[in-house]
Amino acid sequence: MSTVLEQIEQQIAKLSSKAVKKNTGNIRTVADGVAKIDGLSDVMYNEMVQFAGGAIGIALNLEEAEVGCVVLGDISQLKEGDEVQTTGRLLSVPVGKGLLGRAVDALGNPVDGKGPVAATESYPVEKIAPGIIVRKSVSQPLFTGIMAIDSMIPIGRGQRELIIGDRGTGKTTIAIDTIINQAKINKVGLAGSDKSFRPVYSIYVAIGQKNSNIVRTMAALEAAGALEYTIIVAAPAADNPANQYLAPYSGAAMGEWFMENGMDALIVYDDLSKHAVAYRQISLILKRPSGREAYPGDVFYLHSRLLERSARLDGKGSLTALPIIETLAGDVSAYIPTNVISITDGQIFLETDLFNQGIRPAVSVGLSVSRVGSAAQIKATKQVGGKLKGELAQFRELAAFAQFGSDLDAKTKAQLDRGARIVELFKQPAFSPVPIELQVAILFGMQRGVFDTIEAKKVVAAAQSMKDFFSTRKDALLTEIRTKAALDNDLEAKLQAAMDEWKATFTG
Amino acid sequence: MASAQKQVQQLARQFFKLSTDEGVLSAERVAGVLQYIEKHRPAHSLAVLKAYKRLIATEIARGQAVVEHAGPVTESVLAGIANSMTQRYGRPVVSLSRPNDTLLAGLRVRVGDDVYESSVSGQLASLASAV
Repeated sequence: MSTVLEQIEQQIAKLSSKAVKKNTGNIRTVADGVAKIDGLSDVMYNEMVQFAGGAIGIALNLEEAEVGCVVLGDISQLKEGDEVQTTGRLLSVPVGKGLLGRAVDALGNPVDGKGPVAATESYPVEKIAPGIIVRKSVSQPLFTGIMAIDSMIPIGRGQRELIIGDRGTGKTTIAIDTIINQAKINKVGLAGSDKSFRPVYSIYVAIGQKNSNIVRTMAALEAAGALEYTIIVAAPAADNPANQYLAPYSGAAMGEWFMENGMDALIVYDDLSKHAVAYRQISLILKRPSGREAYPGDVFYLHSRLLERSARLDGKGSLTALPIIETLAGDVSAYIPTNVISITDGQIFLETDLFNQGIRPAVSVGLSVSRVGSAAQIKATKQVGGKLKGELAQFRELAAFAQFGSDLDAKTKAQLDRGARIVELFKQPAFSPVPIELQVAILFGMQRGVFDTIEAKKVVAAAQSMKDFFSTRKDALLTEIRTKAALDNDLEAKLQAAMDEWKATFTG
Repeated sequence: MASAQKQVQQLARQFFKLSTDEGVLSAERVAGVLQYIEKHRPAHSLAVLKAYKRLIATEIARGQAVVEHAGPVTESVLAGIANSMTQRYGRPVVSLSRPNDTLLAGLRVRVGDDVYESSVSGQLASLASAV
C-alpha cells in the first residue's frame, strides 16, 4: 500500500515541479498612465498584463515593435526595464449581490472602508453584447417616480434612455430619483405577497466626478434607504484616465450578472462625456490617429458596445441604462451627444431656461422622446396621461404666440390656463419620487379638471395636499390602483369620490 | 515626427532583412550593413541604428535558450534543453549557462520573450502573489 502512496507522491512532485511558461517583456517608456513595452510577443488585445510590484495593465495597442498598455493603479513604482508578463486573462471584476450597498473602484476593489467585498463570482469587464435571438422587446415599465417622465416619456426595463442637458440642470438628480424610486418599490414589493414581483437593483457609475459629489450622492441614497439596493462604481476625477475609461464597463459587468441570473437591474453612467474625454486622453497618449474634436476614430464604438450590453433577455432578466451626457450651451449637435443620441432608445432633454424659471425637473417635453413609447406604460397611466404631451406641446406653442397679443379667444385662454396648471403640477422637488399609483390619482384629478378652479401658482401646494391626503387616508384605493394597474368604472368612481372629498377639505 | 519614426522603422527592417541569409542571422552580413551605414550615413542614422540593434537583439534572443541555474548544471542537461527548445520552436536554439544564486534551486530558461520557470524563487513569487 505504501508503494502506491509513494507513486502518487512522485506524480504530485512531478506535476508541482513542472515548468511554468510565461511570456514576458520589458518596459521601454512609462508616462501619463501608459506604458510602452518591448517583447510580449504572445499578448492578446485587451489582455491583462502583470507589472513587477503588482500593478496591472491592459494591452490596448499591439504594434510590430512594441505593445501599448494602460496601467491601472500606481505607476510611480514602475521604471524603464522592469519586467512585464502576460496573464492569459481578460480583466474581470467581482459581481453579485455581495456588492450591493458598497462603493467600489473600476477594478471592483472596495473604496468605502467597509472591508472586503463578499463576492464569489467575477465577470469579464469587456463582453460582447447579447445578440438578436436572445433579446425580447421592452414592454415592462421602469418607474422613475418623476411624473413628467413616467407620464410622457416612459422608460421600460431593458431600455437605454439618455439624460442630456447643460451643467447644473438636474441630470444626476433625475438618475438618483430613479434609483431611490426603485428602492421604494423594492421595499413595498418584497414586503408584499406578490410572488411575481421583480425587484430592480441599481448600479451608479461615477466617471470623472469630484469626490465630494460622489459622497453627496452616496449620502442622498443612504438617507433615502436606497443604498442597500445600489452598487456605486467610483472613478473620480483624481483617478487616472484608464480607470475612468474602464469604470462603465465594470459597472456593466456587474449589471449583467443580475440580468443573466433572471433579475432586473438599472445602471446609470454619470457621465459619458467625461468617459469620452478620458478615452481621448488615453488614445492621444497611445498616439492613435485623432479625428473630429481630437477624439479617436472608434469613439462611437466605445459607447455603442457599452450601451448595447443593456437589454431585456428572453427568459432572463434585464439591464436598463440611463447614460448621462453634458452639453455645452445646449448644443445637442456636438460630436459625443449626437453619437449617444443615435445609440439610445430616446432622450430626456433638460433645459437651462426651464431650470432657471423654477420648472424642476427642467424636462423639455418637445425635445424629449422615448422610442419605446407607451409599450412601457401601465394602462392606468395611459388612461390619465395619454394626451398630456400633446396638450403641453400645444400650450408651449400658444404661450409663445400669446406673448405678442392681448386678445385671446376663450378656447385659447382655456388651453393656456390648463397648460400652465400642467406645468405647475409636474414640478417636483429633488429626491422625492412619487409612486405610480399616486401619479395616476393626481393625473386623474388633472384630467377631470379638479385643478382648474385653483389658481395656477397654488397648484403645487394643492398637488402636495392631494398627495398627503391620498397617502394618509386613501391607502386602500392606492393599493387597488397599483394592483389593478388600470382604471375601470368602479375605480374611476372611487377616485372621483376621493377627489370630491379632498376638494372639500382643501382650503388653498 | 510620426512619419520620420515610420521611415526609421522601415529602414531598420530593411537592414535587418539584409542581415539574414536564408532566414538565419549572418555575422558577415551584419558587418556589411554596419559598414554601409557608416559610409552613407542615412537620415536619423542614430535612431536607425538603435532600431536595427533592437531587431538583431530580438532575433539573437529567439535563437538562444539562456539557462539560469542556482546549482551546477551538466553539459548533457544543457544539450537536452537546447534539443527540446529546437523541437518546440522549429528553429535552431543553442543553450547558454548563466549561474544565478537568487533562484535558490531549480532552473529558469529564457527563449526570446518566453520564460520557462521551474525555480524555487519563481514558485515562491507565484505563491506570494496568489496569497
